[in-house]
Formats: sequence, structure tokens, C-alpha cells
Amino acid sequence: MKKLIIFVVLVLFAAPCVFAAGTDAKGSAGQALAEKAKAEGKVTFYANITSVEPILEDFGKRYGVKAEYTRLSTTKFIATIMTEHAAGKLTADVLQAPMPVLEFLMEKGVLASYTSPAAAGYPKWANKDGKIQSFGIEYAALIYNKELVKPADVPKKYEDLADPKWKGKIVMADPSSHPTTISWLIGLKENVIKSEAEWMKFLKGLAANKPMFVASFGPTPAPIESGEKLIGISMPKYIITKAPAPLDWAKVSQPMMGTPRGMAITAGAPHPNAARLFVDYWLSEDAMKIMAEKVGEYVLAPGIYPPIAGIDKAKVIPIRELSDDEIKKWGGEFKKIFAAP
Amino acid sequence: MQKTRKGLTPGLIAIVGFLTVCPVVMLILGSFSEGLNAFGTFTLSKYVKAYTDPAFAEILVNTAVFTIGSAIVSTVLALFLAYLNTRTNIPFKFMFRIISLIPMMVPHILFAVSWVLLLNPSNGMINLFLRQVFGWEGAALNIYTLQGMILVEGLLDLPIAYLVIAPAMSAFDVSLEESSKVCGASNLRTLVRITLPVLRPAILAAATLVIVRSLASFAVPSVIGMPGRIYVLATHIYRVVATGYVTDYGMAAAVGMSALAASITLIFLYRHLTREGEKYVTVSSRGYRPSVIDLKGARYPLFGIVALLSFVLIVLPVLVLFYTSVVPYSMVPSAKAFAMMSWKHWIAVLKDPVSLLSLKNSLYLGVGGATLGMILSFFVAYVIVKVRTKAAGFLESLSFLSFSFPGIVVGIGFMWFFVQTPLYATIWALLIGYIATYLPYGIRPLTSAFVQIHSNLEESSRVCGGGPFYTMRRIVIPLLIPGIVSGWILMATMFVRELSLSVVLSRPGTEVLAVQILRFAEDGLWGRLSALGILMIFISTTLVIIASRIGAKLTKVDK
Repeated sequence: MKKLIIFVVLVLFAAPCVFAAGTDAKGSAGQALAEKAKAEGKVTFYANITSVEPILEDFGKRYGVKAEYTRLSTTKFIATIMTEHAAGKLTADVLQAPMPVLEFLMEKGVLASYTSPAAAGYPKWANKDGKIQSFGIEYAALIYNKELVKPADVPKKYEDLADPKWKGKIVMADPSSHPTTISWLIGLKENVIKSEAEWMKFLKGLAANKPMFVASFGPTPAPIESGEKLIGISMPKYIITKAPAPLDWAKVSQPMMGTPRGMAITAGAPHPNAARLFVDYWLSEDAMKIMAEKVGEYVLAPGIYPPIAGIDKAKVIPIRELSDDEIKKWGGEFKKIFAAP
Repeated sequence: MQKTRKGLTPGLIAIVGFLTVCPVVMLILGSFSEGLNAFGTFTLSKYVKAYTDPAFAEILVNTAVFTIGSAIVSTVLALFLAYLNTRTNIPFKFMFRIISLIPMMVPHILFAVSWVLLLNPSNGMINLFLRQVFGWEGAALNIYTLQGMILVEGLLDLPIAYLVIAPAMSAFDVSLEESSKVCGASNLRTLVRITLPVLRPAILAAATLVIVRSLASFAVPSVIGMPGRIYVLATHIYRVVATGYVTDYGMAAAVGMSALAASITLIFLYRHLTREGEKYVTVSSRGYRPSVIDLKGARYPLFGIVALLSFVLIVLPVLVLFYTSVVPYSMVPSAKAFAMMSWKHWIAVLKDPVSLLSLKNSLYLGVGGATLGMILSFFVAYVIVKVRTKAAGFLESLSFLSFSFPGIVVGIGFMWFFVQTPLYATIWALLIGYIATYLPYGIRPLTSAFVQIHSNLEESSRVCGGGPFYTMRRIVIPLLIPGIVSGWILMATMFVRELSLSVVLSRPGTEVLAVQILRFAEDGLWGRLSALGILMIFISTTLVIIASRIGAKLTKVDK
């Protein structure tokens, strides 16, 4: 009886997926995978991503496979995985991390090849060597306090942040060490601001505004909400996760940029079928919808946007992946630029 | 006893060595290895790179000012509170224990954030108040300074200093002070010339611990130092680690070695300064009962100071915490904020299975870990104080090894070590790691209490035919109860809020409170974070009350 119920539930849930994504778990092949995955019992997921519990729960309910989430902060991600890998104790089946992290792990032979049928509608650039699949962009923007900043004062382009009127009113992650902020500033140079001289002028203006530095994006929204600062280089997803805080994003004329978030299966995955089923589900429209709506993530599944006004019209582009040497070099440069009085 | 003592030292060196040396050896290996793991081709490049950084000199100066400043703030405050509590007739004594312990129970990151809300130059509540009431222009007080960091770190480390000094203060041979007064000295002169010098081991022990701890502290330097662009060793290491995705903990370990060197130097300095142990013995076979000094007219003014301190230390941060847990997002108190209050963060936390599991795990680790830790600390402290050989000195330095590494680094050391053992990713790894790292919290209060007990007492018992364990049980342990209780409380509350090791070693099923709190912090969910933080304070408070009650019952005998 129980099996029958599960089967019925499976069919009910799987059917719309098949039609929606068109390529998800194709009939009997998908079913076979689901059965093998169920026999394996669970899937171990290493990541650093907020509030994805509803997705994991939904996965468990649908397929009877328990998804176990180990959260590793970005600074410990590679250290932990390489340590476990070297000792032959890597228990992860599926990894999720910023693109540069996964690329490093791919070079070290930690990742397996898998191209999910669920990613067929995703942009071409989002798949790397048949091993890493990007599903979203960790997008950054100018986030401001909409109760304290008058609509006329909201920046219309990124360069407006260098206006002296923002002096002492900006918060941002430390540009000498925070990789995403470093990449974002480089992204401005390469994708947005016309000449290097203008870009440098912007940086110097921003530095002259004496922004307050915090360790990463996590602590950026709190000072904006409370009014300690008025604006910051932060992430639009906080508009969703921190609601009803008075946050909004400056709808600048230029594109938004961010680091791609990727996922991959490990080469020695203890539960390989569950891992594939999990990736297929994660990339499906249903899971991506949860991610966009509940967590405010910018996802690559076509036609799905976070419920933030104006995001569906915005152009969001992935930043070129910087090597660690480049990040360190620019970190050092920014340290000098932002230290100047 | 002699024979037992001889067997004890090597045995303890083996145990403590195993606990603390393994992770540190892994870190040393890592700092000399090419690549990202502990094992690689030998290289010196990480040291060259770490120590030729031109910014390093300024960081060292900041670190020295920060750690020594914090040590002075917390030691002076602890002396003041311990003296008033144990030696005078000040009213409301029960408050002292609470004041001196609260900062031990609050997650440090939260305490630092509360202070930012109070004292930030833009809209800190105290600054807004000063501006409105006195019309002061601009920012009267700025938390984002070295002074601000010292103040907050000093307050946070107050429990460490208090719990080391208070037991020594209460185990004080009053005849010394009486002799001074008989010779015509005033209370103040007696305090300065007799009481404080006799307490030297405890005072130095407290200051050493605080320096070492603030060296490893990350919460205050990151929450208060970074926005003020004041970098100390811990935040410098963070920058080394966090710049780029391929984090090189070997390089971080290379920077961390200077913290290790500083700590070991301090411990040797401490041993040197207290080398004539006999001088500090105050509980001998003669009378021992601390006398109470009548404060007379100074009673209430002094109490006023204590009340103010407790307001600043307990009431304000806990209020801020509670406030944050009921408002929907970070907001300055206003009519609007009060209108929007709700229990939604509390409900979210109490419904979250991971948060509940982490409460259970942390409670288990706090009680179990502190108890095991104190048993080990007892023997180690005994050897350090009563044996005092070269080997005992070695043992003392060993006990500080993992403790003196900045938190971000030592966790990785333990990971590199545990991954080689079957304990990896189990709760036992956390338990062993906690005890190994925080052993000084058990050993320090015990040694400063041990120092004061004259071996006459043990010898009398031996002469009367008591065996070594009988002597231990009937003579030594009862006199040490205040020290044991202090150590247990320090360890238990530390384990309940431990972060540096947990963040690396905890896995699904072994989640602990601080890691859950950190996740909320990383996602900027301050409301849930505060709710869970209050639950954490509640657990710690319960543990402290139980431990103090048991301690009070056991010491009643000699009153």
C-alpha cells in the first residue's frame, strides 16, 4: 500500500515536471533512476547556500531519498573537501559552490561527469566540460534604505556611488579580501565602465567616500536596514529574505553582475544515483521556483525570476572567473586605493 | 605520594601531548608544505610571504595594544569585583557572580553587535541620546576604534579573569592582613602592600589567559575592528585566508605561529615571575578564614559602581538581544519598531529541527566535556603546582598549545588530524577537540587555587596514616572546590558557545549552537540569531546555577 502511494505521488509530481521542463526525467529512464536512488537511501550535499531546506524537504517527500546538507562557508570549502578527498573520506555526493571553487576541484579530479537532462533549457555558458552546471548567479547590486533615501537621490548608474553626497553613508565588504566584491569591481571595469581611467576615477571617488568595511556580504544589509548607513554594495536577495526591512535596489541602467553558482557530482560519490536524481530535481523548474521565490536567488531556469520589482527586466551577467592570483593581486591594489585619504 | 607523582607526570604529558600536539603538528607540517594539505613538499615560501608583508609591523603593534589593553581592563575589573564580593560587606552579593559570568555565555559576535548598535558613530543609541540631550554635534563616541575594541574585548574576557582571581581571593590567609593592620596600616595600604602582592600568581594567571584569548579572538576584531579598518593578527589571518577561493591554511598557520610563540613566551614569563611558589601559600595548617571588611559609608557608592557595571554588562546587551529577537529587522527603537514586534523569529527557531538538535548537542558537550575536562585539569594542575620539575613546566606549556592558536587556524589543525582517525565527523571529535583546546580554562583556576595550599596539610594527613587518594579526597579536593567550580563553569559555558572548532568539525547530526548561530549571522538573520542566543544564555545560566549550588554545598564543611 505504502509503495503504491509513493508511486502515485511520484507520478503526480513527476508528470508536470516532464511537461514543464520537457526534458526532465524522461519516462521510464527517470523512473529507473528514482528507484535506484531510493535503494541508496540518501544523498549528501555540501554547499554554502541559504534557506534551501524547503527544496531538500520537497526532494525527500517526492522520492523517499533523504537529502543531508552539510554547510561549509566559502573560506573552508576547498580546505575541507581537499582534506577529506586526500584522506579518502569525502562523503559528499553533490557539491554546490561558486564557479571558481568548483573549477579548482575539477582540476584536482574531484568531480564526475554528468549533464543533467533538466538543464536543457539553461544558457550554453552555464555548462562547463560536462561536469559543472551553473544554476544561478550570485548577483550584487546597490542596495539602499528606501525610507531614508529620497527617490531622486537613488543612483542611476554605478558611478553615482562616487558622488560626495554618499560620504560616510556606504557599507561594503572589504575590497582587499572579499573575493566576490573584488570580482564585482573588476566586472565593472570589464563590462560596464567605458575606460580604465574612468573606472579608476570611480574607485577613487568611492574610496574618498570612506565606505565602512565588513567581512562579507552577510553583514552588509543590517547597517542599511537600521539606518547606520544608507546604501551599500550588497545582494538584492536580501530584499526577500529580510522582508519587511526597507531595502530596495538601485535600478541602474547598466547590467547587474555576479559570480555563477555551480553544482557537480563528486567522482567517488557514495550514492551516485541519488546524486543524479538530486541534481535533476535541483535544476527542475519546481526547485528553481522555490529558490527564486523563497530565497530571492537569481536562477538560470528560463522564465523564473525572484519576486523583486524590476528584476525580470534587468540584465544579469556572469562575471569572468578570476584566478586566485588575480584576486590576490587586485585585492592588494584595492587595499592601496581604499587606504588613501 | 612521591612515587605516584613520578608516574603521574609522564602519563599526563602523554595524554595532554596527544590532545594538543597532534593538531599543532599538523599545522606546522601544513605551514611548511607546498599545496593545501598538511602533507606536501617542503617549502619555506609561506613563512617568507607571511612575514615580509609590509603591513605586518602595524598589525603587530595593534595586536599588542589590543591584547594587553583587554587584559588590563578585564583583570582590573575582575580584581575590583572579586575583592568587593569575597572580602567586604557590600550588599547584593549574588549579583557579582552573575555580572562576572554573563559575558561568558553570550555569543561574542552578538555582544559585539549589541555594542555597535549602542555606540556606532552614525546612529548608535547612546550617541543619539547624547546628541538629543546635550546637543553634542556629530559622533560623541565611536566604537570603531582601538579603544572600543579593548573595551568590548575586556568586558567579554572579564569572566576568565574573575574566575581565576575569585577563588584565590577567597582562599586567603587572613593572618597576613591582620598582621599588617596590627602594625598600623590602613585597609588601603594593606590591600596594596599585602593582598595584591600575595595574589600575584592569580593576577598574572588571569592576565596571561586574557592576553592569549584575545590574541585568538575573532568576533571583536571582525565586527568592530574591520569597519574601523583596524587590523589585528586574527583579522589579518582572515584576510590571508579569505582573499581568493583557494584558501591556504598552511600560510594562515605560518602567520599563526607568531601567536603561538607569543603565548609560549608569556607562559615562561609567568612561571618565572611566580617561581618561588612557597611565597604565595596562604592556606596552611594554621587558621584560614577570610575576614570581611566593613565598607561603612563607601558601601552604597561602591555598590552604585557595581550596579552601573552590571547594567552595562548584562542589562544593556541582553535587552538589545531581546529587542533584536522581536523586531522584524535591524531598526533603531521607535514607535514604529514597537508596533512591528512579534514572536516570529522565536517561532522560526523553535520549529527548526536543526536548531533544536544543536541545543541538545551543545548541552551534552557542555556537561560531559566540562566534567571530563576538569578531571584531566585536576591532575595536570596538581603536577604543575606541586611537582614543579622541568617536565611539569613542559606540561604547562603543552596545555596552552592549541589554546593559543587563532581560532580560524586551530580548527583546520584539528580537521587535518581527525580526518586520519575514525573519529572524524563524529561528536567525539568535537568533545576531544574542545577539551584539548580549552584545557587552560580548567587548569588556570585550579593552579591558582593549588598554589595557595601548603603541603603541610597533605603531609599532616599522610603522617596520620591517610593514603594518597584519601588525602586527595578529604584534604585537597575540599579546599579546591571554589577552583573546581570556576573551572567547570568556564569550560561548560565555553563549550556551549564554542565556534572555532565546531564550524570545521560539525556535520549533519552533530550540529552545535554556535554553528547554527553563525549560519544565521552569515545570512544576516539577526532576529533568529538573537532568539537562539537567548536560549543559549538560558542553558548556560542553568548550568552555572547548578554548579554554584553544588559547590556551595560542598564548601560548607569548613565554615
